[in-house]
Amino acid sequence: MKTLNIIPVLIAVLIMTISGTVLANDSKYIEAMQKNIEAVYTAETIPDYQTAVNALERIGAAEKTKWEPFYYASFGYIMMSNQEKDNAKKDVYLDQAVTALNKAKAIVPNESEIIAMEGFIYMMRIPADPSARGPQYTPMAMQAFNKAIAVNPENPRALALLAQMQLGMAQFFGSSTAEACATNAKALEKFTSFQSENPLAPRWGQQMVEEVKSKCGK
Amino acid sequence: MKAFYSVLFSLILITGYSQTRISGKVTDERGAGVPLANIVLVDTYDGTTSDTEGNFEFTTTETGTKVLLIKFVGYKDFQREVVLDGKPVNITVPLEEMINELEAVMITAGAFAASDESRRTVFKALDIATTAGATADIAGALNTLPGTQKVGESGRLFVRGGDGNETKTFIDGMLVLDAYSPSAPNTPSRGRFLPFMFKGTSFSTGGYSAEYGQALSSALVLDSKDQSEMTRTDIGILSVGGDIAHTQAWERGSVIGKIQYTNIRPYFGLINQEVDWEKPPVSLEGSSAFRQQVGKDGMLKVYGNFNHTNYSLYQHSIDDYNSKFLYELTNRYRYLNGFYKEALNENWIVRGGVSYTYQQNDAIADQDNIVETEKGIHAKTVFEGSLSDKVELKTGADLVQRSYSQEYIISDGDDYTRSFDETIAAGFAEADLYTSNKFVTRAGARLEYNNLTKQFSVDPRISLAYKTGSFSQVSFAYGKFRQTAKNELVRVNNTLDPEKAEHFILNYQRIENNRTFRVETYYKRYSDLVKYENGDAAILNNAGSGYAKGIELFWRDNRSLRNTDYWISYSFLDTKREYLNYPYRSTPAFASKHNFSVVYKYFVQAINSQLGFTYSYTSGRPYNNPNADKFNNGKTPAYSDLSFNWSYLPKPYLIVYLSCTNLLGRDNIFSYEYSSQQNAEGIYNSRPVRQAAPRFLFVGIFITLSKDKSVNQLPSL
Repeated sequence: MKTLNIIPVLIAVLIMTISGTVLANDSKYIEAMQKNIEAVYTAETIPDYQTAVNALERIGAAEKTKWEPFYYASFGYIMMSNQEKDNAKKDVYLDQAVTALNKAKAIVPNESEIIAMEGFIYMMRIPADPSARGPQYTPMAMQAFNKAIAVNPENPRALALLAQMQLGMAQFFGSSTAEACATNAKALEKFTSFQSENPLAPRWGQQMVEEVKSKCGK
Repeated sequence: MKAFYSVLFSLILITGYSQTRISGKVTDERGAGVPLANIVLVDTYDGTTSDTEGNFEFTTTETGTKVLLIKFVGYKDFQREVVLDGKPVNITVPLEEMINELEAVMITAGAFAASDESRRTVFKALDIATTAGATADIAGALNTLPGTQKVGESGRLFVRGGDGNETKTFIDGMLVLDAYSPSAPNTPSRGRFLPFMFKGTSFSTGGYSAEYGQALSSALVLDSKDQSEMTRTDIGILSVGGDIAHTQAWERGSVIGKIQYTNIRPYFGLINQEVDWEKPPVSLEGSSAFRQQVGKDGMLKVYGNFNHTNYSLYQHSIDDYNSKFLYELTNRYRYLNGFYKEALNENWIVRGGVSYTYQQNDAIADQDNIVETEKGIHAKTVFEGSLSDKVELKTGADLVQRSYSQEYIISDGDDYTRSFDETIAAGFAEADLYTSNKFVTRAGARLEYNNLTKQFSVDPRISLAYKTGSFSQVSFAYGKFRQTAKNELVRVNNTLDPEKAEHFILNYQRIENNRTFRVETYYKRYSDLVKYENGDAAILNNAGSGYAKGIELFWRDNRSLRNTDYWISYSFLDTKREYLNYPYRSTPAFASKHNFSVVYKYFVQAINSQLGFTYSYTSGRPYNNPNADKFNNGKTPAYSDLSFNWSYLPKPYLIVYLSCTNLLGRDNIFSYEYSSQQNAEGIYNSRPVRQAAPRFLFVGIFITLSKDKSVNQLPSL
């Protein structure tokens, strides 16, 4: 009798622990990610970024099926290249951004956010040597942004990056900024309307849109 | 029940109370701390980042045996098993430096690499297109680099006291038998291959890899682009013709077709030419390239090119201008190149290919008809890989088979044909041995068998490079090189030995954030050069010899001045040789002691334009005056040229390009030609060899039609 009584208890305990660990694991993932995503967003120096990126890469390596850790690690590396002054080192950070992003891409091959980020990396290659790299990387970046928009027309970051690129080209050629401003306005609209079910969905890029908006004089 | 609770209790104990503290220090091989390294407890979220001194510390609630992984860019990953049982773990992590492309020393002696992929190159692919005076000709742009001598009437690459034919061109590793378009006598020829086709150019002025043979002085190695990213149509409207190209791209491949028509007649109608053209050159050229990725890492490339050129001109006698005869040339050219590359595994790749060249020069000189035909096949397979991260190996075999014939159909007398068939089988092996990121040794050898001489030969090649600082390095190269003598000599004597050269090169290079300084010195020894026996061109031997030595400087800076990029090259050359009809050692007519050039490029944002200037100076070259006692003792005036180009981008898909050579209109004299007979006073009459026209003006409009309007032809110009 005693033993019989124990069995349901044991089962109950087992079920509780199993579902507990599953739930705990996912909430542990989300919690850890939220903390480190915030760390990337608020980082100010290269060591800040590297610390956050290291943590993200640890999570990514442990999880194996989640693309977000590598996506944000890639974003962190892009930000590091942006802070770095030396052109050769800028490229090293961007190479690391590519490596991280490729890991994310292997998990979700057709994610609009990842494709947009690819374009972002191409765009960041240009400042180191605009005359040689501009003609090479501009079309590659444009193509990536357009593809990201085709995959998900609601992606505000793809639109914002495209607007940035269009503005740069309009300024270079001294032509009308109307197209860039229209894309930017669309990006701004999507930033308010676009809601992802994913609690870890990217949120960055709004500031970029505000800057372009101010240049568009509206 | 009791047992159950005690189990539960101990579980709580383990999960709740067992914490292990892991600490330590990450260092490099010299013991200095490595900050910002990632310390990972594998398969967990736990870990940390090393601080500014390389120290780290974290706690984990994990238990049992786990792997601790430490990683940082530029170093090899470090792994160690740790037992987590609550006892603190302290560990010193000596990270081992990784031999990586960005940090590792490079062999730079004799090498000028231009690539979009490698970022530490001195020269970029785009530089070739935007160098003023080069008018998008590869050889023209490379002529602004040290180690080259400007020979204005030829247009070919003359390297370090070597003749133009001592430079060989390779596309994707495959030999090109004649890389230059035909040109009228004493007018510069242009390369057959447009710079836009290539993603990388490696121009070696000596000491090159054992992979390349049959070149005495220089190897120009061109790497064609991989697949194109997008479907587009390019139209070029040129002052001397037009071209149209279409690219069709798909997911893993692309195909490009291009047709170009060049007719220089309308231009020559406007600008007076030194050459008495009956029919200026007209050429029709087509090229096509196919690219396909195969499997995960395979790449197939096929490139083909045909060209048909025809012109005719009057050659005037030196003694009497009114005595002239017609010279007509028709050149037919086909080139086909197939290339395949595949990864065998993570560490090894195999690449190989076949190239086929067919060329025919059908010339009518007065009443005689001379038909020169050359056909050649080059097949090659190369294995490349690493034995460890410190040893890289390259080995392969290649076969060149070519047949040459010259048919002389004489109006008055007996026709005759002189020909030969040559087969060269070769094998090579080369190893790069890195002692550290600072020091590399490359040792290799090339084995060749030639069916004409029935001889085996082995040519060793050795290079060393040592990094003297973060940005600077010294490099040394030695090599033995051989090359079959020119066709016009071998057709006379099929059993001539190949001509030989030995190179010794010492180089210092410093590249720091868009500034490059290079100095290089060399000694080159020639032997077995072909010589006329007792001055008789019908009897040839290998008794000739010679040397070349010099020092070269290069400075490039695209940082100091805003929107400006410039480079300066200077080459000093001392060379003498005894070959062909030379009675004793003397400086050949193509060699000049001082070569100096400045290339300046300036971007003007306000007008969306890049302006470029190139100034070149070449000191006087020797020529032989048969009226003088000494051989090759005459000296031409110095050559100088100031060229200009302007690329204007009014719209993202439109480029207007304008270039003009010799802005100052200087009358450059390249040499003097002498009559073969003395006149009544016992003097050989002479005539200077001049530029065909003081200036060459070129205007082109390039339009790109694509779905994406941001694309233009600038990367390809």
